[in-house]
Amino acid sequence: MTSEAVYRHSIAARTTHWLWTLAMLVLVMSGLQIFNAAPYLDASDKSNPARRVLAFDAQDGSPPTGYTIVFGHRFTTTHLFGYTDDGMGAETARAFPGWLTLPGPQSLADGRRWHLFFAWALFIAWVAYLISAAIRGTLREFVIRPSDFPKLLPMQLYYLRLRKEPPPHGTYNPLQKLAYTVVLFGMFPLLMLTGLTLSPAVDAAFPWLTALFGGRQFARTWHFTLMVLLIGYFCTHLVLVVSTGIWNNIRSMITGWYVLGKHDGVGP
Amino acid sequence: MKRRLFLASSLASLGLAGCGRVKESLTNGPFRGALLSTEKLNGKLIGTHGLAREYRDADVDRDFRVNGLATPSDSAYTSLAKDGFRGYRLVVDGLAERPQKLSLAELRAAGTKTQITRHDCVEGWSAIGKWNGVPLGTVIAMAQPKSNARYCVFHCFDRDDGGQLYYESLDLGQAAHPQTILALDLNDKPLDNDHGAPVRLKIPTQLGYKSAKWVSRIELVADLKPIGGGTGGYWEDQGYEWYAGI
Repeated sequence: MTSEAVYRHSIAARTTHWLWTLAMLVLVMSGLQIFNAAPYLDASDKSNPARRVLAFDAQDGSPPTGYTIVFGHRFTTTHLFGYTDDGMGAETARAFPGWLTLPGPQSLADGRRWHLFFAWALFIAWVAYLISAAIRGTLREFVIRPSDFPKLLPMQLYYLRLRKEPPPHGTYNPLQKLAYTVVLFGMFPLLMLTGLTLSPAVDAAFPWLTALFGGRQFARTWHFTLMVLLIGYFCTHLVLVVSTGIWNNIRSMITGWYVLGKHDGVGP
Repeated sequence: MKRRLFLASSLASLGLAGCGRVKESLTNGPFRGALLSTEKLNGKLIGTHGLAREYRDADVDRDFRVNGLATPSDSAYTSLAKDGFRGYRLVVDGLAERPQKLSLAELRAAGTKTQITRHDCVEGWSAIGKWNGVPLGTVIAMAQPKSNARYCVFHCFDRDDGGQLYYESLDLGQAAHPQTILALDLNDKPLDNDHGAPVRLKIPTQLGYKSAKWVSRIELVADLKPIGGGTGGYWEDQGYEWYAGI
């Protein structure tokens, strides 16, 4: 078995990788803080209970009950969502718990401050990464092409252990390419654009953008949905980091050096 | 090595944020400065371009949501309200060549405009209302701002539990936006007391807390610092942005 090491991740790639890891974490937590101020999502322009997608609610009683309502289906989620940790050691009527929000206790003003600052951090990391990847030529290695599409199913079968060998590929396998392309060129820009359309001044300057997402509350729903999808991507990413040589993967994202071996090209 | 330091500090921040117990010192220290400059940058980049979308009659929320501080209950307000606001005068003064004291009839006579626009609350919800009122620019022009006037401050009748009066402010550019109006009517009826009677600001290009209700006086000033907590508004003094276009 070979143990040849290759310099895979440039300093720009590693820096921006950790920067947006931090930015995403702060953005999710401060975003949930902001969400808590109006704990419901509507698929419409203005707020409209008839088009409600998701809502959280609490009911008085001893003890009180917390509810999560998804498309009209009500689930009891006391202590977790709806009636939960207030960030100060007690419980209160609140959608997301204090341990998941930034800051912990209820503070819309502070949540907005963190969110808007780290939105810039994410944007800058994203642009810096794309520029550096374009210059280094790594962009070509992970952007999916039509020739990768027939290899997607065989690759998935390999991951599911229904196939012995992964289909032949370059530095990154077709599923990795699909994921990276969707995240970098689909989800990140959509996340930023749906976030921008929550701003009344942006709506006035670019009304077509808000209309494209189905209106302001719909944009808020998309913004939240994209966060959920990105968390899904993040979990998949973590599973693959761990299962394809955790130390090799983490080291390569710190020092840049990746040791080729049996997991080459099937990693996170 | 620098990158180790970077990683260590990232991980430290992750840990800190992960606990959800970010210390006051971090929020109020140098970090606060960075956050505040972001707000200024956002304001400069977005500014007051374009017009808020205008809707059809059918889109209007007939039961427009009431939010914010409680309807004023002190005699200064209730005695005016009892009389149908006949004794009400909107004071426009400060750095003005011709300070004004305008009755509701005089305000209407200045020429009203109707807009059906969406009200976006900082909390996240939106509602659509049909607002009729005088463009703020018209009223400011009547008072003839002096050359050093930069902002207009809205002094209001409502106060919080601690007795602090509500106030808000706009710069003269935001005040001159064609959709920035002093609303007199909501949904074809004079404003009721809960919606800010007799005069409220309506600025659909910024978040709801800028649209001050129960306006009693508009003061033209050169600087916002000497007023209230010094940040330009009641909610601004509690940490919200002065530029509420975001």
